[in-house]
Amino acid sequence: MEVSVIGSSSQAKICKTELAYRDLRFCFGKNNDKSKILSRKPNSVCFESQTARFRKARLRFTLEAVHSEAVLESKSSTGSNSLDKVRLFVGLPLDTVSDCNTVNHARAIAAGLKALKLLGVEGVELPVWWGVVENEAMGKYGWSGYLAVAEMVQKADLKLHVSLCFHASRQPKIPLPKWVMQIGESQSSIFFRDRSGQHYRESLSLAVDDLAVLNGKTPIQVYHDFCASFKSAFSPFIGSTIMGISMGLGPDGELRYPSHHKPAKSDKITGIGEFQCYDLNMLNLLKQHAEANGNPLWGLGGPHDAPTYHQSPNSNNFFRDHGGSWESPYGDFFLSWYSNELISHGNRLLSLASSIFGDTAVNVYGKVPLMYSWYKTRAHPCELTAGFYNTASRDGYEAVAQMFARNSCKIILPGMDLSDAHQPHESLSSPELLLAQIRTACGKHKVQVSGQNLASGAPGSFQQIKKNMLGENVLDLFTYQRMGAHFFSPEHFPSFTEFVRSLSQPELHSDDLLAEEEEATESVHTSSDANIQMQAA
Amino acid sequence: MTTVAIDSLLPKPGLSFRPKANVLLKPSRSLNCYRNPKLLFSRGACSCSFKPGRRIHVVEASSTDAAVIDTFEAFSSGDVLYKETFPVKRIEKVEGKIYIRLDQSEDQKNWQLAVGCSLPGKWILHWGVSYVGDSGSEWDQPPKDMRPPGSIPIKDYAIETPLKKLSKGDMFHEVKIELNPSSAIAAIHFVLKDEETGAWYQHRGRDFKVPLVDYLEDDGNMVGAKRGFGIWPGALGQFSNMLLKSETSQANAQSSSKESKDSKKENRQLEGFYEEQSIVKKVPMGNFVSVAVRKCSETSKNILYLETDIPGDVLVHWGVCRDDVQTWEIPAAPYPPETTVFKNKALRTQLQPKGTGNGSRASFTLDEDLVGFLFVLKLEDNTWSKFKGNDFFIPLSGATSVVGQLAQSDSVSEEISSKAYTDGIITGIRNLVSGLNSKKSQKTKTKEAQESILQEIEKLAAEAYSIFRSSITTFSEEAVLEIEAPKPAVKISSGTGTGFEILCQGFNWESHKSGRWYMELKEKASEISSLGFTVIWLPPPTESVSPEGYMPKDLYNLNSRYGTIDELKELIKSLHEVGLKVLGDVVLNHRCAHYQNQNGVWNIFGGRLDWDDRAVVGDDPHFQGRGNKSSGDNFHAAPNIDHSQEFVRKDLKEWLCWLREEIGYDGWRLDFVRGFWGGYVKDYLDASEPYFVVGEYWDSLNYTYSEMDHDQDAHRQRIVDWINATNGAGGAFDVTTKGILHSALGKCEYWRLSDQKGKPPGVVGWWPSRAVTFIENHDTGSTQGHWRFPGGKEMQGYAYILTHPGTPAVFYDHVFSHYRSEIAALISLRNRNKIHCRSTVKIVKAERDVYAAIIDDKLAMKIGPGSYEPPSGSQRWSSALEGNGYKVWELS
Repeated sequence: MEVSVIGSSSQAKICKTELAYRDLRFCFGKNNDKSKILSRKPNSVCFESQTARFRKARLRFTLEAVHSEAVLESKSSTGSNSLDKVRLFVGLPLDTVSDCNTVNHARAIAAGLKALKLLGVEGVELPVWWGVVENEAMGKYGWSGYLAVAEMVQKADLKLHVSLCFHASRQPKIPLPKWVMQIGESQSSIFFRDRSGQHYRESLSLAVDDLAVLNGKTPIQVYHDFCASFKSAFSPFIGSTIMGISMGLGPDGELRYPSHHKPAKSDKITGIGEFQCYDLNMLNLLKQHAEANGNPLWGLGGPHDAPTYHQSPNSNNFFRDHGGSWESPYGDFFLSWYSNELISHGNRLLSLASSIFGDTAVNVYGKVPLMYSWYKTRAHPCELTAGFYNTASRDGYEAVAQMFARNSCKIILPGMDLSDAHQPHESLSSPELLLAQIRTACGKHKVQVSGQNLASGAPGSFQQIKKNMLGENVLDLFTYQRMGAHFFSPEHFPSFTEFVRSLSQPELHSDDLLAEEEEATESVHTSSDANIQMQAA
Repeated sequence: MTTVAIDSLLPKPGLSFRPKANVLLKPSRSLNCYRNPKLLFSRGACSCSFKPGRRIHVVEASSTDAAVIDTFEAFSSGDVLYKETFPVKRIEKVEGKIYIRLDQSEDQKNWQLAVGCSLPGKWILHWGVSYVGDSGSEWDQPPKDMRPPGSIPIKDYAIETPLKKLSKGDMFHEVKIELNPSSAIAAIHFVLKDEETGAWYQHRGRDFKVPLVDYLEDDGNMVGAKRGFGIWPGALGQFSNMLLKSETSQANAQSSSKESKDSKKENRQLEGFYEEQSIVKKVPMGNFVSVAVRKCSETSKNILYLETDIPGDVLVHWGVCRDDVQTWEIPAAPYPPETTVFKNKALRTQLQPKGTGNGSRASFTLDEDLVGFLFVLKLEDNTWSKFKGNDFFIPLSGATSVVGQLAQSDSVSEEISSKAYTDGIITGIRNLVSGLNSKKSQKTKTKEAQESILQEIEKLAAEAYSIFRSSITTFSEEAVLEIEAPKPAVKISSGTGTGFEILCQGFNWESHKSGRWYMELKEKASEISSLGFTVIWLPPPTESVSPEGYMPKDLYNLNSRYGTIDELKELIKSLHEVGLKVLGDVVLNHRCAHYQNQNGVWNIFGGRLDWDDRAVVGDDPHFQGRGNKSSGDNFHAAPNIDHSQEFVRKDLKEWLCWLREEIGYDGWRLDFVRGFWGGYVKDYLDASEPYFVVGEYWDSLNYTYSEMDHDQDAHRQRIVDWINATNGAGGAFDVTTKGILHSALGKCEYWRLSDQKGKPPGVVGWWPSRAVTFIENHDTGSTQGHWRFPGGKEMQGYAYILTHPGTPAVFYDHVFSHYRSEIAALISLRNRNKIHCRSTVKIVKAERDVYAAIIDDKLAMKIGPGSYEPPSGSQRWSSALEGNGYKVWELS
């Protein structure tokens, strides 16, 4: 029974609106019968009739409820941007299981799992390393550590998304299996090689996929056996706890060439990277392809006028915005071949995965990188060196999406936390535009997209993630990377908590606050609309 | 004659008649009060009485009740469809005056100073005196015989005396202070405080100063200056807090009776004076809006009558609706006079003053097919008045209205039915309120559940964090290098840690009570570490005469009320495990004796350090020491140790080394270092090589917060002198900063936070690496509260010290309070931006209501209600933290 002076009571008003909101939920959640509520006789006659404004208030609630109900229904039917639909996962530490196949900091992970469960997170992502499981000898798998984690996750009543990692990690240091590395010592051609002769020893060259370089087996066969072994070892979890599997497709698990051997220092602008087509087998493939195309001279090596790793696109001729070799027939020849090899490689691995997991309830995912640097140049050099023939004049992601669609796989896209506003201007990069382009291609081919973040806790990243989650195309799931000391640190965890909570609680609309006269008047008239908006938010 | 009508209209007469002063200050919240016509009546009288410049008379608006009747009379008959009175809250500025009178008391011997205030309130005179020969602006406590009954001493420099009404009918609250002109008192200083609002009323931004001698320098805040000396300050200034009125009251300095020819001092010719000053106070006011709807029998239209007692121009912003959704629409004419159409959405009608001049009214003729009448009120001061945050809604279709039903009921039993009506409303409200309450409690419950879940999550996260963090070594070297790389190269000097230290005081004044503090603290170790602290200060560990540990007896006996020596070691071990350095609170100044000497004086020690009275300073007669004169101030409750004695120093050094090696302490918090020369401290620190040291050099005596000098250089100089004496081997608590924060935050004097050279005004401005900044400790706060930080401003204080150079210390009670998450966020912000004890501060704003600074070009912060935004140049600042009265930005 109070009338308050506006200006000092906006707070109180918010509370009340919220109350109203809860109220209607309460009414309709249990008893979805409008007429019943409208006609219900209040217990106290005098309350109802004498203080008629309360009666009116009641009516208002009811009407709002009807509105909002309708809005919600229409949303769920189109399956669009309801936040409830996005499942949130959190990545477990990369070194959850390492070395001796034991669970590292199990107590911390157990506590972390509990915390995540309480927060309402759907599940966790677990990287499973080739170099851990099949470390000693080919065909000798040690799943015990990962099984223990799966059990912990199951106990915590969380879902598990497994990432099969056929690459190595620098930090924490998890190399490829010992026996593979030994083979590599004598046969360095199983690794990618750049123009200057450096090998990339953190994943196998895609050119050896079907060559029997691993003790008489092809890498594809070895991956196949690995996946099959995983399937049988984890059969009690598959379909119940384990709902998704990411197939490692290359460096850092992503479908790409290791065009950036070393990630640039954070303070430097990411360079354009280099083409990785200089190992013997790649060069062989290139030569064959060139000969088949009637241009044998084009098959002798990669582009001679491409800049080096950390140079800018214009420092040499290949990527120049105008008149660069990338636009020449040679450029088209090379880039088509380079990117097709990558897509074929992805196709091989994803079809392998779908053939193994196709009969289970799990979804198969593959990760596509977000090479957003220099996106605003015409040549998109970063994408080109990574193997995506995507330029100002050619959409390179259509073919990728198509390949995923063919294998009924879903795409994981990282970098959902990056906004253009936070990119250095000179880098001419645009994570947002690139993401939109890839998502459009996926939408065209009905490939579902799940998201990941790249950095963790950078300013504005949570808002950006939310924006991406709320976009027109709904995400299949979002995996937040990654649990560890920083994740739980007081610098980061509170904002993460807030982020998760904000996903389940609609924000109050700013319309609710009155300040200036204009606004006040506006709001006087549209207050009921504002309420509906708020509920829809 | 009129009462009958009132009774029938607004039933339930006879509710208590409140004294009007009370009505002003505490608008009643219950509805039925507002329905009391007598109350309306009295309020009308009251608001009238505070019109500027008027003398205050009791109840003069005698026609108010008649007005009420006039307007409602038409609605007393049976055709009333709706009638309701809504309470309206608003803030009104009430003007009154303060007077100061100095005159001779009746017995012609003594003089008396009277201070009175005409505004209602719980007035307190906060006052002190200064003596002849005092320099500076510090206050002293007046002699006991000067203090009126009911006075409470505030520390050692002020008295608080409540103002009282001399008699019930009196307008003024007053206090009288008797003074003897022959005393050495040079001036009386005071400020007025309203306990109800916490507001301070000062004179020209300073205290009121009533000179009792005539050679005092006028700092501009003198009142009642004498004739003939030409220092009449002219029109007296406004009171900083509020005051609109510059047409200040004329100071009628009454030429006083001069017969008190003082024999002792010629210049002590007191002259009486009387001075008035205007004062404005913001008072929450209760008003009402009454609405009644009647059917016009001739036109079958509804006539809505609206009236309010809100003074000034009131604008009704209104519309009608035809459905329950309350869509505003503009009805057809006719409209009341002075109605305008506002943006085609609503009508605005200026209420017409009632005949009596109290409040205003309007009546609206509305078609009968309308469902409701919607309105909000726009008051004179541009505030809007709404009903519980919504539009007022007046139903027009009478069908559902009980009032309407009542109208059809027997008009003979009008009185009964209207009583039933009131009761009905009351029950209705009760139901509603209880309904709301139960909803509220439901909400609170789920909120509580949510809170506890969140707490659980926080705990789990802290646990996970501490484990992950401790196992960070599993990363390759390269990784560690990358993480640690940008650390500024700061020279590490002994006793000041890395420069990145953040201190947690790990106890309060009550911690000894459980008897197992060490074990309790052990459970919190990882939590404290995870909040970002690097150093923790433990309570004094030795056997002690007082349970808190500050009266040590046998230094080697470490079984105390906080726990046993083994528990202490265990605690320190766990603290070390989570990466915390541990400070021992060592009391070196004094020590309690075991035995009496031949005179029965307790000055012979026992235990492992069985010193005799040569270890006690010779200049404290209480303890009859045979040692040398003390090298510092004496602490009078226990024998002060004579540190000039070689054997004492040798033993203390050994003890400190034992604490380091055997117990595991990493450094010291040195108690009461005012008591002995800093040079000895240096000796002890050289021997024990602590990682971090902080000394308590707290001289409260030289410190006055009520009227503090801008320049606190003398105070910080004393602290810096001590640090210097220790050769900079350790730091000291920055008491100066705390004191200045008290004034800056507590009294909205943020300009104080910059010294004359534009640097922080505390020790931190002069020697940041040796300044340990804090806002509270076990003495100043906790249950002792010797010098408590301004309530509610703690986070502003932390926003200051945790963003500024110096080594910040956070008090236990604040760490484990609702401030926890905010403090944790500030600490992590400090760590994230690598702010350290030598970071540079650029003060960009130090104004009355806002202080802002940029630290190391990485952080920008502001405290205070005023506004500040960091520059929007090439650097991009993004808001990192925001709390009550503070905001911090970092470069994005």
